[in-house]
Amino acid sequence: MFRLPKSALALALFACAAVGASNSQDYQIGTAATAVEIAGWDIDIRADGKGLPVGSGNAINGEESYEIFCASCHGVFGEGEGRWPVLAGGEGTLADDRPVKTVGSYWPYASTLFDYIRRAMPFTAPMSLDDQQVYDITAYVLYLNDLIGEDFELSQDNLAQIKMPNQDGFFVDNRPDVSNPRCMADCADPASLMIQSSLSGITPIGHFVEGADAPASSHSGQHDLEASKEAERKAAITGEQLVSSVAQKNAVMSAEAIAGEATYKVACGVCHDSGLAGAPKLADTDAWLTRLQQGKEILTIHALEGYAGAKGYMPAKGGRADLSDEAVTNAVLFMVESQQ
Amino acid sequence: MATPSTQQLLQTMQGASEHLSTNDRRDFLRRGVSYVAGAAAVGGATLASATGLTSNLPPNEPQWGRQLGTGVVENPYGLPSRHESQVVRRTVPWLTAESISSISMSPLQDLKGIITPNGLVFERYHAGVPDINPDEHRLMIHGLVDNPLIFTMEDLMRFPSVSEIKFIECPANGGMEWRGPQMEALQFTHGMLSCCEWTGVPLKVLLDAAGVQTAGKWILAEGADGAHMSRSIPMEKILDDTLVVYAQNGEMLRPEQGYPLRLLNPGWEGNTSIKWLRRIEVGDQPWHHREETSKYTDLMADGRARRFTFVQECNSVITSPCPENPIVRKGFLEVEGLAWTGRGTIKGVDISFDGGVSWRPAQLKGLVLDKALTRFSLSTQWQGEPWLIQSRAYDDTGYVQPTLAQLREQRGVNSIYHKNSIHTWQVAPTGEVKNVQIT
Repeated sequence: MFRLPKSALALALFACAAVGASNSQDYQIGTAATAVEIAGWDIDIRADGKGLPVGSGNAINGEESYEIFCASCHGVFGEGEGRWPVLAGGEGTLADDRPVKTVGSYWPYASTLFDYIRRAMPFTAPMSLDDQQVYDITAYVLYLNDLIGEDFELSQDNLAQIKMPNQDGFFVDNRPDVSNPRCMADCADPASLMIQSSLSGITPIGHFVEGADAPASSHSGQHDLEASKEAERKAAITGEQLVSSVAQKNAVMSAEAIAGEATYKVACGVCHDSGLAGAPKLADTDAWLTRLQQGKEILTIHALEGYAGAKGYMPAKGGRADLSDEAVTNAVLFMVESQQ
Repeated sequence: MATPSTQQLLQTMQGASEHLSTNDRRDFLRRGVSYVAGAAAVGGATLASATGLTSNLPPNEPQWGRQLGTGVVENPYGLPSRHESQVVRRTVPWLTAESISSISMSPLQDLKGIITPNGLVFERYHAGVPDINPDEHRLMIHGLVDNPLIFTMEDLMRFPSVSEIKFIECPANGGMEWRGPQMEALQFTHGMLSCCEWTGVPLKVLLDAAGVQTAGKWILAEGADGAHMSRSIPMEKILDDTLVVYAQNGEMLRPEQGYPLRLLNPGWEGNTSIKWLRRIEVGDQPWHHREETSKYTDLMADGRARRFTFVQECNSVITSPCPENPIVRKGFLEVEGLAWTGRGTIKGVDISFDGGVSWRPAQLKGLVLDKALTRFSLSTQWQGEPWLIQSRAYDDTGYVQPTLAQLREQRGVNSIYHKNSIHTWQVAPTGEVKNVQIT
């Protein structure tokens, strides 16, 4: 991959010989970066607002974008879904036994919010929002934290002026903060030693304890485990016989759908296993039946071209531009036919 | 040939294992379950090897000495023995919302020496592993420099290269246990830790090529992945030892480790060693981005928080015995473990068998390198006595690894990061090992 053609190598050697070794540190390696190239990649915003693009936005406009792009993970009010980050609330809890670290309670600078949303959000389609959307969503998250009013026009001129409640709550690392003498004998009273044991049952220990009923060692394994426990629980209530769902599905699926399973596993499952970004979970047949009323063709078009609706947000091909149309179509069929 | 029942196989294996050495027997039994599962799946085909185990032992000529093996390039890129399939990275699913932004741990309990094989280096991503074409990857250097530059991978590999053995540790290593012991195994208490020989170019060489202006005091390093992970790094660190690396342990970086290019800040929290490195901007002050404000800051008991807590302080752990490696036989025992410090070099390690009442010096084995894992050892005898076994490392700055009580007194229990306290394993008279804390 980095191999030079032989002629180029010979040329390089010749050039070296010609230049000689007058300054061995004068590498002359690399190409000048043009202003246009730098502008395309220079996305960072600093605490003092340096780097903010010209523009503005407000929470009123931000609400709709937030609900499309953010709410499925972060909650409608920034309260956080599942294990996804909580964005709002938690003021005055930092010294509590269980502190709630949010944008409002913990983050020192508002600029960080704009920077992070632009560089990394929404999770499934980073760098897909335009500056207007980022300003609007930033304003909405600040509004959720009662830091600005809903009609406050947030802009490149005033964003860095917003004083965050915890701005002065940080100090630079002052470690080492402890000094432990290298005691060799009689360092503690043996009678005073209290032994506290590990909690059992929360570590995936199947790899070394034979027969251990450990939690799954992967996220998808954990998902399957939770799904099968839920199925067992339901079956226990309804008295229904549990049938192997895999065997059942394979009996009715088309060849395209079976082919689509591989794509599902490497691409679609990221959201459709967990419900991330408002995606209908593969196992949630009710959610799929509602969508199926539009017809398979519409679902396929949404998957290929992207879709934003009340429940959530689907980037074109789930953000996987590298997938062929056929692979995406087959994966849709897999998800649809899994509901039968 | 009839398929053997699981019970029959287990009995056969139990019988066969009586003839094995202590270590073999332990490994043998540990692998028994998967072995039996595999045999049951393929039916009678494996019966011969299962019942033939004693026939492979002296004085008999083993089966593999009476037949030919596989030829060259059977695996063009070699794989570990199929008998080592339990040596893998593992995760704790409940730690994170989802595997795309998550962490896995190295199997420290199975590793030898100080080098972590590339396939076992712990993983941490915030937007999954990108699939980067190195021909299309660029490193841009701009900001307070005289000559903003773009480097191709070929450009970077033309610079004189350096190779250095350094550890990388996630500052959240052990962070689940501030309030009490939670994890039941070494892989999960300490496995966010790996050590490789890294090859690349000192960042200061690249910055020299761009010509840093006198006002340039910090850099921002940024990744090319979907998270565009970004951290501010002070110029002093770059002048000291920051590298831009493209290889680990003799081959190009693994995708999980930033292929084709990553930053390496030796001894500093792993998060600063930006993977899939694409951009370095020189500035006159830090940026205060999400990963250095919202995350990777250490909340103290009074509600204030430390920031730019870069250094991974002196730490150590005993890797044998440990929960995964119980003591299986009375008599001679080599206690082994790993020590490391982000401030320099490990000077020594002491071991306590009585929960920290008394200590004995261990030996440092093999290479003792700056900001690298360092292996220690102490040979002893075990006669079934219960132990509370601990290691305590100290480094060339004179810093001695602290107790958890000392850290809690200074920091409380909500700082998540940088828990480097003395770790305790409880060895039962059966040889079983449990993770405990002494208060």
